[in-house]
Amino acid sequence: MMGEIPVNALRGLSFEVESGEYIAIVGPSGSGKSTMLNMIGALDRPTSGKLMIEGVDVSTLSDNQLADVRKNVGFVFQFFNLIPRLDARGNVELPLAIAGVLRSERKKRTEEVLTSVGLEDRMHHKPSELSGGERQRVAVARAIVTNPTFILMDEPTGNLDSKTAGEIMDLVKQLNEEQGVTLIVVTHDQNIGRQADRTLHMLDGVIASDVVN
Amino acid sequence: MKSRDVFSFAFGAVRLRKMRAGLTILGIVIGIAAIVALTSITTGLQVTITSELGEGFSSDTLTVSTQSFGMFGGGSSDFTLLVNDTDTINEIEGVQTSAAIMSKSVMLDFGSTELPLSVTGVDYTAYASLYSSFVAEEGSIPETPANDSVVIGSRITDPWDNGTVLAEVGDTILISWTHRVGLEMVEENYTAEVVAILEEIGGFSMGPSDLGLYIPLSTAQSFFDTDEVNSIAVKLVSDDEELIETVSQAIEDAFDGLVSVTSPTALLDTISSVFDIVSLFLVGIAGISLLVAGIGIMNIMIVSLMERTREIGILKALGMKSRTVLGVFLMEALVVGLVGAVIGVVAGYLMAIIFSAFASTLFGGDMFGGGGGPSTSMMTITPVLTTEIILGAMAFGVLVAVVFALYPAWRASKLNPVDALRHE
Repeated sequence: MMGEIPVNALRGLSFEVESGEYIAIVGPSGSGKSTMLNMIGALDRPTSGKLMIEGVDVSTLSDNQLADVRKNVGFVFQFFNLIPRLDARGNVELPLAIAGVLRSERKKRTEEVLTSVGLEDRMHHKPSELSGGERQRVAVARAIVTNPTFILMDEPTGNLDSKTAGEIMDLVKQLNEEQGVTLIVVTHDQNIGRQADRTLHMLDGVIASDVVN
Repeated sequence: MKSRDVFSFAFGAVRLRKMRAGLTILGIVIGIAAIVALTSITTGLQVTITSELGEGFSSDTLTVSTQSFGMFGGGSSDFTLLVNDTDTINEIEGVQTSAAIMSKSVMLDFGSTELPLSVTGVDYTAYASLYSSFVAEEGSIPETPANDSVVIGSRITDPWDNGTVLAEVGDTILISWTHRVGLEMVEENYTAEVVAILEEIGGFSMGPSDLGLYIPLSTAQSFFDTDEVNSIAVKLVSDDEELIETVSQAIEDAFDGLVSVTSPTALLDTISSVFDIVSLFLVGIAGISLLVAGIGIMNIMIVSLMERTREIGILKALGMKSRTVLGVFLMEALVVGLVGAVIGVVAGYLMAIIFSAFASTLFGGDMFGGGGGPSTSMMTITPVLTTEIILGAMAFGVLVAVVFALYPAWRASKLNPVDALRHE
């Protein structure tokens, strides 16, 4: 549903993701990429039909259960979606606080992750004091800080220049390779498509092609 | 999410918008301060008045008059009490003694100044046995007074409290009483000699007053040419409640129910309940301002909700449950309410202190000046701040803040994360 007009964004699609895989989902605007990503990430429920993730029908879960599912998912958005009043560390620490992790542990883990994305000098800067690339690094750090089962990225480079975009995707690729993080990336960027292990091409709510690179 | 983290997250949000939070808090502060100030002043006033009344009243003394002596007035009948009615009352079992009291408004000429006051005709001995405050500080109260003697209250000598002595023992004062005979206005004059000045009584009293003038009853009878008295004060053998009841009833029966008998205890009860009503009314008015503050909170939170829709989406995307979102928003209101309530209690108490200091200078100064009539003595109000007032006001402030935040917080918690994230 978008607004008041019902849209059948997705129709009878099914695909499997291996743990540690790097999948790119490409396709024109309105093809249902983001809708699918939101559903995989338990942000949204199908209005009708079923969505099975790891054998669980997400459409039957309550809001609270969906919230719990989301704790195992890392999101990276096109517009960063950082909380402006919190500094880099506060933003990265937030999912840990929500999950109820102890303060001392949170601090250690946050610093670790921020260092791993190369922001050890920028921890106390607020989003407004960071460049676009740095903001997206904070967002990536926030996505991986809870050691989620998989990371979902919705146009992560859509708001960055190509050089910065390349740096971010290199970072992400590195995390995928070194830490075995499962990645699902929705993108328009052909380069990301080529970098991924597998590319799903979506068209009008169905998967038009599924290519292993 | 742990409550401590919910608190620090909510507190951070409040701190970010200092101006807005400050104004919202101000609303709560004003409401709470008004409630605290009014409550502590009325409580203080109540304490002052009841304690002064308690001192001025002997609990074993009844007052018989032809009209009901309630706070809400009451009709007077054509029935009049006469000087000799004391004989009837003295025969009733349980009555020790009684004194007829005849009061008239007169003009007093001290030579340099004229003052409108009331003069009271009483039997000195009976009156003194009824009221322990009828004691001379200067001169002495004669047992068999000369016809032209007068006993004056302590403030008659120095009404402005500035050393202007109007009368001393041995001085003569001119009392003039104007009344009508047929169509004529007749002014009667009477020169009296001050034989005694009473000790300072202060406050309120059913008996003698600092502004009273007391002449012998027989003199009053002939001067005012009447046997009618205003009231009869009755002293009982004890202050037993049951005795007060039976004697009151017996007196009323003796006069066929045409008189009313007032006991100080009943009067105190009436005054107390009137104070309760007044303070409830005032607190109600102050409560309205708090209600306005509550609506302010609701308004601010709805605006803040719109601004922070995206933030709520982020929080939910990061796995925050709806009830935690609710908790964050309620916590923000709680912080605002609590800070406002604490400042409000302090501000209210300060306001009460300033007000009572101001009131004391206002009423404690020129007693005879201005448009008001003379008053007995200055009354100091000490604001009373009880633990009940503090806790009650704080609880009320926090409750208002949280209750009015419920709806915006509930709306925030119900936001769909995808829609919230898409919000511009």
